Amino acid sequence: MSSGVLGQYDTLYGTVEAIETLRAAGHTELEVFSPIPSPEIEEAMDIHSSPVRIWALVGGITGCTLGVLLTAGTALGYPLVTQGKPIVSFPPFVVFMFELTVLLTGIFGLVALLVHTRRPVINLDPNYRASFSVDRWGVFVSADGDRIGEAENLVRETGALDIEVQS
Amino acid sequence: MATAEVDVHVHPTLADANRDITRPISKPNKRFFLLLGITVLGLGLMFGAWFYQIGAGIGVAGITHPVFWGVYITTFVFWVGIAHSGTLISAILYLFRSGWRTTINRTAEAMTIFAVMTAGLFPLIHLGRVWYFYYLMPYPSQRQIWPDFRSPLVMDVFAVSTYLTISALFWYTGLIPDMAILRDKAKGWAYKIYGALSLGWQGTVSEWRHYRRIYLYMAGIATPLVLSVHSVVSWDFALSIVPGWHSTIFAPYFVAGAIFSGVAMVITIMIPMRWAFGLEAYITKDHFENMSKLILLTSTIVGYSYATEFFIAYYSADPIEIESFRWRALGAYALPFWAMVFCNVVVPQALWFRKIRRSLPALFALTIFVNIGMWYERFVIIVTSLAHEYEPGGWGLYTPSWVEISILIGSFCWFFFWFLLFSRSLPTISIAEVKEHLAHEHAHAEEGSHE
Repeated sequence: MSSGVLGQYDTLYGTVEAIETLRAAGHTELEVFSPIPSPEIEEAMDIHSSPVRIWALVGGITGCTLGVLLTAGTALGYPLVTQGKPIVSFPPFVVFMFELTVLLTGIFGLVALLVHTRRPVINLDPNYRASFSVDRWGVFVSADGDRIGEAENLVRETGALDIEVQS
Repeated sequence: MATAEVDVHVHPTLADANRDITRPISKPNKRFFLLLGITVLGLGLMFGAWFYQIGAGIGVAGITHPVFWGVYITTFVFWVGIAHSGTLISAILYLFRSGWRTTINRTAEAMTIFAVMTAGLFPLIHLGRVWYFYYLMPYPSQRQIWPDFRSPLVMDVFAVSTYLTISALFWYTGLIPDMAILRDKAKGWAYKIYGALSLGWQGTVSEWRHYRRIYLYMAGIATPLVLSVHSVVSWDFALSIVPGWHSTIFAPYFVAGAIFSGVAMVITIMIPMRWAFGLEAYITKDHFENMSKLILLTSTIVGYSYATEFFIAYYSADPIEIESFRWRALGAYALPFWAMVFCNVVVPQALWFRKIRRSLPALFALTIFVNIGMWYERFVIIVTSLAHEYEPGGWGLYTPSWVEISILIGSFCWFFFWFLLFSRSLPTISIAEVKEHLAHEHAHAEEGSHE
């Protein structure tokens, strides 16, 4: 377990304020736990985008390509005229290209979520508390030596309800 | 407490939301087992009838020349339609940032999945020789013959299976943070199961960062998917040359009808569920009123489509098309036709009145009418068109057999069987989304008190 200070907060904006104060004081190694999704926390942590969008795009392009290969490829592989339509009939094939685009975008997206969040895991983070899934926000500040005391003071000043020091 | 009167302005705390929404996930009571038992009996009826049909042959169903698509395909289209509102509420309303979706999206999404699972049975049942279902799948056979990708029936396989997969992924993604809540409350084997299903979710900022984006992208792709699925189902009919089917109006007509029936089913399910689980503080009358407005809107689109179909038949000056629609309204199936008009167009007009939109008993009764009306709509479209095609010598009537009726009844039991299991094992409302809403409300209330 790494050393540092864990503070628990009971409001979203209190947590955001604490993150901003800690970062301004040079404590940038923070792990934040939140019971709700929050763009405010991401902003305070200076996090803006997620690479999952690239995965989704790659999934979509792969699906569309697969749709073309499956429909046109199999039609050309066994060129049998049906319904008086051309062998490669683009309008009906668009349906398959679309469906496979959507399908692989979704699957790649979920895989991206697992890869980038490094899930699944069996053992939870030692700083995680069950209250973080109820109504508490947690901010763990990694610090050692003299900085632990400073971090503890900052966490206290920002209104943390519970403070745990791990050294 | 007069629970039905609880108002939207009661603001539970975040801990209240955890406690209230997870309360139904406890040791099931006798009432639950009674309901589950009824659905299991229905499942016995359905599978018994299906196995009998497999053994005796498809001849035991009422479908025969000229009506080869009957109750099975009617019920398939009906359940695919029911499946539509789930993703509509989840995805489209999410993209539009409609806050009122948060308490109903989980149930609507679950309904989508179970409705697609139910719909998916019917093409298999309709096949008769169910063991040949894999012919529709694209696989490399030794004769190198692939499915005909120009056929709308193959499009249907892709559309419905993609819809099921994406709906399930979307649903599961939304459930991950809630399963972490259940894990943290649970002990013993339940801790292990919810722990595995939550994938070790801890609500870190990194998790939420990726989660929020992927949820948004899934909503983005699911939106056109909703519109595509029932369009594709409608092309099963519209791409043929059967009078009454061959029409360009079919895709938007079917999509509007699907949303209409789907939202009606959400209301039908949510009214008793809200009462049974004591969720009045979360699912308010405002939610029902908003859904009622959606029903009213789609009812008018559906009514307009009925009128357009008749007008186009008249305006085409095609005697066969005109005769097909004349017979639809005045022929042997006039009763189902007028039942459809009454249930889908006349009855929903009551929703112009605010009092009806906010009266749960009235809404419950009204949505039952809509469910019945929408089943009849598919029956009317399918059966009357096939029964009265081009040649008078080829006309004929269709009467469903007991096997078809048993399977139809059983399909409702199959749907509710899964729904009952869901309601006892997973949160029926998205806890994380409700808490997000509440946290911001509390913050605004606090700001207001400081000013």
